[in-house]
Order: sequence, then structure tokens, then C-alpha cells
Amino acid sequence: MGNWGERRSSSRRFLPADPRVTEPYRFTPQLALRVGVLGAVALAVFAVLVLRLWALQVLSGDRYLVAAQANQVRTLRVEAPRGTIVDRNGKPIVTNVPGTAVQLWPADMPEQGRYRMVQRLASLLQVPVSDITKAIEARRGDPLTPIVVKTAVSEPRVQYLEEHRAEFPGVEVVDTYLRNYERKTLAAQILGYVREISKEELEEKDAVDDYRAGDKIGKAGVEAAFDTYLRGTPGAAQIRVDSLGRPQSAIQTQQFPAPGNDVRLTIDIDLQRAAEQALTFGIERAIENENWYANGGAAVAIDPRDGAILALASNPTYRPSIFAGRVDPRKLAELAKPGANTPALNRAIAGRYPPGSTFKPVTALAAIEEGLLSPYQSIQCTPTRTYGRDEQVFKNWNPYVNEAMTLPTALAASCDTYFYEVGNSFYELPAQRGQPLQKWARAFGFGVKSGLDLGGEDPGLLPTIAWKRRHYTSAIDKLWTPGDSIQLAIGQKDMVATPLQMTRFYALLANRGKLVTPYLVSDVEQPSDGDRPPVVLRRFPPVPPQDVKVSSSALAAIDEGLRAATSAAYGTSVGVFGSFPVPVAGKTGTAEKWNSELNRMLDQSWWCGYGPKAGRKSPIALCVVIENGGFGGEAAAPAALRILEQHYGVEATVIAEVPSD
Amino acid sequence: MLDYASSRSLPREQPAVLAFLRRLDWVLFGAVAALVAYGLWGVAGITRHDVAGNELYYVVRQAIAIGLGFAGLLLVLAVDPDRFRRAQKPIFAATIALMLLVFALADETRGSKRWLDLGPFQFQPSEFGKLLFVLALAGFLADRVRRLDEARVVLGAVGLAAIPILLVFKQPDLGTSLVYIAALSACLFVAGARWSHLLALAVVGLASIVAVLVLLPKVGVELLEPYQKERLTGFTNPDLDPSGTTYNVTQSITAIGSGGLDGRGVDGATQTRLDYLPEHATDFVFASFAEQRGFLGAALLLGLYLLVVWRALRVITVARDAFGAIAAGGIVFAFLFQVFVNVGMTMGIAPVTGIPLPFVTVGGSSMVVNLLAVGVLLSIHARGVHRGR
Repeated sequence: MGNWGERRSSSRRFLPADPRVTEPYRFTPQLALRVGVLGAVALAVFAVLVLRLWALQVLSGDRYLVAAQANQVRTLRVEAPRGTIVDRNGKPIVTNVPGTAVQLWPADMPEQGRYRMVQRLASLLQVPVSDITKAIEARRGDPLTPIVVKTAVSEPRVQYLEEHRAEFPGVEVVDTYLRNYERKTLAAQILGYVREISKEELEEKDAVDDYRAGDKIGKAGVEAAFDTYLRGTPGAAQIRVDSLGRPQSAIQTQQFPAPGNDVRLTIDIDLQRAAEQALTFGIERAIENENWYANGGAAVAIDPRDGAILALASNPTYRPSIFAGRVDPRKLAELAKPGANTPALNRAIAGRYPPGSTFKPVTALAAIEEGLLSPYQSIQCTPTRTYGRDEQVFKNWNPYVNEAMTLPTALAASCDTYFYEVGNSFYELPAQRGQPLQKWARAFGFGVKSGLDLGGEDPGLLPTIAWKRRHYTSAIDKLWTPGDSIQLAIGQKDMVATPLQMTRFYALLANRGKLVTPYLVSDVEQPSDGDRPPVVLRRFPPVPPQDVKVSSSALAAIDEGLRAATSAAYGTSVGVFGSFPVPVAGKTGTAEKWNSELNRMLDQSWWCGYGPKAGRKSPIALCVVIENGGFGGEAAAPAALRILEQHYGVEATVIAEVPSD
Repeated sequence: MLDYASSRSLPREQPAVLAFLRRLDWVLFGAVAALVAYGLWGVAGITRHDVAGNELYYVVRQAIAIGLGFAGLLLVLAVDPDRFRRAQKPIFAATIALMLLVFALADETRGSKRWLDLGPFQFQPSEFGKLLFVLALAGFLADRVRRLDEARVVLGAVGLAAIPILLVFKQPDLGTSLVYIAALSACLFVAGARWSHLLALAVVGLASIVAVLVLLPKVGVELLEPYQKERLTGFTNPDLDPSGTTYNVTQSITAIGSGGLDGRGVDGATQTRLDYLPEHATDFVFASFAEQRGFLGAALLLGLYLLVVWRALRVITVARDAFGAIAAGGIVFAFLFQVFVNVGMTMGIAPVTGIPLPFVTVGGSSMVVNLLAVGVLLSIHARGVHRGR
């Protein structure tokens, strides 16, 4: 055998072998020492290992055992059935139906052919592939919250999935609860809808409420405002999983979910239905009367004694069921189309309309209280009147009238020029008197939210000098002109009110001077359990009506005028209400509103009024507005009659719509 | 069974064979056999739930490797160790060739080239390299044992050893290259290198570790892959990133701790059964073992290792020649180093490197090579100087 490096250098051998190696090898004391050192190292190594092992297993074994057990037990949330929403008589409006949901546990999906499986699943369930992949991406790092691919899956598809289980690893068919809208579109905007909680909502919510990803939450209407009562308490279940989150055992319920509580509305679903049908009817009437652009409306009926809302309708409407289960984006897009005219908007509480003549009682009350008007003084109702330094001409809606009128007559015949005079007298008040018309209007609830428990209200707009200064940019526009006072007197120009605000005011007229706070939810109940009646858990008592301190004589004069409007020969809606057996009072309104698309004014058709308590029927205050519906007497008043007929259970015998304000 | 003729020929042969058998270190052999059997029993429990429908999948494979290993052990036993010294150059060349072969042929496996596919089995050259490396190095040192007080001899040995060490490091198999370094140190130590030289080498070694981990990265030179660095340094701070780099160690410590005094049994050991503990049949096999068998079972395993180390150290003292002593020293220290780093890693007191646990880790190459190494030890012992006999 040669030595190392031979090939590299032939002249000199690399580190040649030592000739002394042939001497017999001896186990020297030096080597013994070194072996001893190695032995000591070995002993030290084993001592360290055994001590560490002892420390881990014997000294702190219990702690690690707990950690190991916690490792594989996962606590899942068990969906609680959501409470139902019932009307004032306990009739269900929204219930739950058990449904099936197809879930996807990302951790369980195969490594290979993952995308192909998602594609198959997507085509089977008719869900876009991109939706599923996006959801998987969003849930990355959270393998224990399954993705709900689709709820409300039809029976044949569920069967197919069950039969082909092996081909869809990670796909589970589970029971869930679906919101069931038995009455289709009824009260759609009031109820709102339920969907999976969004990331943003999750961040907003208090930790106390214990919302988690994957929970369902009310997104609008009562579902949103009363979500904490409706949602119930999710239960807890445990499942053993491996390190990838794959279930290793059946789900074991630890704590059963507590179902949500029922929410009882003040709505009467029969009246609600009547109100919604009345809006459709009103729109039809308007179109028949060649108001081609009539395309929406709102109706509000409240009990003037305490503000309980009996009906709250908004048109156009939609089916809340499109939000139940997996949402079809095409159906959502339909809601948002310009031609759809915002069906999700609750026009009754958030629709902004000029009130027009229905505002005249506000002006009258304010004028009487401020001493500017005496109910039975006569003012000439002329076809036109001229005001201001620029001699602007203001017209009456009826150019053929020219007679002296008292307040009741002026209200009944809806004389504009009479109210121009009243408005002008407000304008001519000395500056130190302030703006009493606006002061009283605010006291009657205009320009402020009513405090409805549903939320989502629009405050409307009550124009004031300060508002004009703030709102406009040019010096001329900032000025408060006679026209501002005069037009405000008949609820025009900048004045905007919601149907709810108007109804609240007419409730004040009906109850003789008390401002109610409208409310929709009367209590939260534990659902009835077979024989046991429902138990009220939390009552929401009405806010006590607030006395606005207007004189009863003034109210009496207004009442007289509004009664004449529906019953006297010169009344604007006598043709509609003349034969109605219940003595109702009310005011038509035809409010001009600028339509920016058509570039012209369109008439908003109004009727506001009230009816008495009759037998077991509660009193009622009611407003109906038909968007672009023309004269109040043509569209809104007939629609209002329909609602009153339902409320009182009687019908008018003769109906003649009148083209009158 | 035996025919008459062959049994008649026995008397001539018998005394030599019997004498050889008497000179065998039966304690070492017995300890290794017990360790292998105990390890296989442990692996049977550890891998029971790993292959669906075949509880014995790994056990059978491991048993085949054990059979091959013992056959190899017997073959090695028949070879005079001095033959290895004389064949040091071919052995060294074979070591280098194996490693180059890995680079040439190996598929990328987990980012490193460590395996060669041989049909249904995989062949891990760096495992065989461990033994070949020690034999070649011991041969080189044994031939120069009287001149080891010269620095250039020590440096020459280090330089030669550096070639396979760097090749393994580039595979990249950091753990195995550390085993090579441990073996190199032990060989130099047993061969009789000066304490001052050893100290100097230790200082240079520590300095280069500091350089690789701290200084060079600062000037932008990274010799280690990021994952290697994290594994090397992660054990010093296990709470840094419990779900990331140190996840394995955290789960491993939990597994060991949860085993308690007497273990959780095969079905109760959830860390292993539910895959919380990754690599529980290979790198982290000790953690699984400790989870299932508890402190009593794991301490018994460590005790068997200590017995093997003790008997192997004894082989150094009885070696007939320098080669035997150096080779035994290299083998025993490589063995000790692997046990310490592997077991220490599972308990969070040593860096995470892919070093197998001798005789227990599921893996044919490791098992066969370790048994061959025991064969070398037994062979050195059997042909050693036995005072008092």
C-alpha cells in the first residue's frame, strides 16, 4: 500500500508513514487518561439527558399532558336557531327552516387535484369557482372554521354528494337554519336580512357579544337592530382533530345552543299587507292618470296614542329570501340596478320628500300659537299673490278660486294663497322674534329623527336662516327671502320630511297635541313551548308622548279643516272618503320635487290623516306618499283609503278620485 | 441437520472458532441486540397508526434492515481490522465517490440530496460514509501515530477529513457533517494529538461557528441556508416562534413531557398518533418513544446506550494496535454524539439537525451501518490484547 499524496508529488511523499509504527502498540497511561476523559464526557452526556428527561416527564409531566390534550381537542360553535319575528298578534313573519349547508374544510382537501375538486363542487352546487377559492384564501390559517359553500342545497344534490363522498374529501353536508320568509316580500325593509358576519363587523363588535368568524348576523332592519336578542347563544361542541385539523372523532356536543328569542313587532301583518298592496294600487292609479313616472311610495300607519307602528310600507320592495343561504350575485345586482329604484331603501323612514300641502297644518298651528293668525279670520283665497321686492308671483293650485276663507276652509280646499299670506307674515316678523315657524315645526318632529327603535332614519330637512347660510355658497343664495318663508308655509322648496315624520305629526293632530315616539318592537319573548305561552323577557314600553303645548282651540280648528277636507263638498279628498263610514280626517298634498333626470318638477302625491278609535279598532294616524304620483287626491288618497278600509274593516261605497291638491 | 462428515470435521475447526467466540465482547453484542430489539418494539408502537391498513409496514422494513445489518456484522467480524487500515486509500476514495454519486444521481428530497433510490429501498450514502470515514481516517492516523505531535500531521489529517465533511455539508446535510467532525476530533484525541493542538483546533472550530452564524451574515455572506440557521439557533429560544421553526421542538417537548413516568401507551399517545409530532418515526423518534413509554421506558433506552458506549470505550483499551484504538474511538464518539444531539434535540437542549437515533430511527442505511460499526468494534475487541487471560 502506498501513502497519501503519492500521485500529487512523486519527488516527496506526503506525510510518509512512520517507520516506528512497526513497534508494538502499547496501551499507554496517556491513552488511558484520554479514554477516561471520553468516558467522563459520555457520563456527563447521559447525566444531562436523563436529568432533562426527568425534569420534563416526571417533574412537569402533568403540565405537558394538559398541553398535549389541549392540542387535539377543538371547540366548535354550534349554530343557535335564530329567534322568529312575529307581528303584534303573534303571527310569525320570519321563521327558521332547517336546511342543509355544504361546508368545505380546507385542511381536509386533497393535496393533489384540489382545484379540480373545487371545480366539480362548484359546478354541482352552481356556485362560481372563484367564490370558493376566494373563501379558501380568506380562511387560510384557520382550518377549523369551515367555509360555507352553499346553504339551502336541494335534496338531489345532497344525495349526490353523500353518494360520492370519497370524491369530495373535506366536503361536509351539515344541518343549518335558514331564514324563512313565509310572507314573501312582506315588510322586507323592516325585517332586513341575515348574512355571515363580515371582517369589518367582527372588528367593530364588542368582545362581550362574542361574535366569531362564520357567525350569522342581522345586516339591516329589525334583524340588525335586535340581533343580540335574535341570535341566541351558540352552543359548544368538541371534536378531536389531528395536527392538520382533520376530525378524528364525531362531534360531541358540550353545551347545547340556546335558541334566539322572538321579537314581537307592533306591526299588524294584515294592515301591513294592505299598506303594501295600497302602494301598488296607488302607483297604478297614478299611471292610469298619466303620471307615467310614478314608480314608488311609502305608507306609515301608527297608533296615535303611543306611537306603535301598525304598518310601515315601502315600494318598490324585494324578497329578503335572496339573502338567505348563498347569495346569487345576479339577484343582488338586480337590486342595485338604476331601474330597480332602490328597493332595499326603506322609504317610509328614510325617503326624503317635500311634504307640500300636508305641511299646511304645521304652518297654521305655528301661526295661531304665535298670534299671527286667528282660526276664523278671513283671508282672501286668490288665484295668485305677489311678494318681495322683485314682485315674484306665487300661484294657487286652483286658478278659478277667489273667495274669503277661514282656516278650516282653507285647509279643506287646500288654498295655497291663504298660506302664502301666513308664510309671509312669518317672514315679516321682526328679527328678534326668531323663526317661530321652524321652532314649532321642530317641536312637531321635523328636521330631527323620531327615535324609531329600528334605526336607519333620515332626519329630513327643515330649512332655517342658519342652514341656508351654511348650505349655499353664493351670497344671493345664502339670503333668506320672502319666497323661503312662503314656500316653507306650504311645505315646498328646501323643506324635506320623511313619511314617518309626517305621520308622527298627524298623530299629534289626532291625539290633540302630544308628540309620540314611534316604535316597532314591543317586546322580546321566549318562544312558546307547546302549552306554555310565550314569556316576555324584555318589554320595550313606548316613550311617553310629549305634550308640545299647543292650544286645543287651534287643534280643534285644524281638525275641523281636515274633517271638511274628507267630507265637505269643497274638500280635496271628499271624492275618495265621502262615502267612507268612519269619520276620518286628512289632508292631500301635491308636492313638487325636482327630478334631475327629467330636468323638471314632478308631483309627489300625498295623503296624511287620521281616524278615530272605533269599537275594538284602535285610532290610526296614516300617511301615504306616491312618488311622482301626481295630485294627492288621485293616487295617495285612494291608496290611503284602502289601508283605512282594512283597518276599520269597512269599505267605502263610492270612490271618485279627484285631481285636487 | 448436520451430516456426519461435517460434524467429524468440526473438532479441527472448533477450537479456533470457539476461541474466537470466547474472545467476543458478549456484553457489547448483547447490549446492541437488546437495543435493536427494544428499538424495534418501540418503533412498532410509534408507527402503528402511520400507514393506514398496515400497522407493521415500518416494522417489517426495519426488521429487514436489522437482518441485513446482523449479516453484515458477522461478515465484518470475520475480517481482520488491519485490512481496513491497509485499504485506507480505496476506502477514502469510496467515501468521496459515494458523496459525488449523491450529487450526480440523487433526486431532490426535501431540498437536500441525501438519498439514492435503489428500487424499493433508498440508500443514504452519508450514513455509510460515517463508517468509511472513520476507518480511512483511523488508517491515516495509525500510520503516523508516532508523529502526531507534529502540527503538520494533525493539519494533514484535518485537511483530508475536510473533503468529505464539506461534501456532506453541501448535500446539504449539516447534521451528518457535524457527526464527521465529532468523529474526526475523537480520532485525533485517541491517536494522541497534543492537547495544545486539540485546543487550537477547538478554538478555530468555535471561531468558525461564530463566523458562520454571526460575523459572515453581517457582511452579507450566508454559508447556511436560512432554515439551517434557524434550526441551529432556534433551540436557544423555543418560544420565539412556536408555530414556525421551533414548532417541531415545542411539539416534541410536549410529547416527551406528556409521557410522564410510565408513558401514555400506543393509543393514548396523541402527539404521535394524531401527527402533532412530525417526523416521529425518524428524527423525533425519541420523543415518540418517551411519550408512549414514559420516563421508565426512555431511561431504559438511554441506559442501553450508555452500556453500549461503555463497552465500546473498553474496546479502545484492549485494541491490539493503534488503528483499532483510533477506529474504536472514532466510532464510539460518533455514536455518542449522535445519541446526544438527537435526544437533546427532542428535549430542546441541542440544535435541530437531521441526525438519526442509532438503532431506533426508522431507516435501513442507518441501521445497517451502525450494526456494521458494531461489527468493527467486536472484531477489534476479539483480536485485541486481553490481559489476564
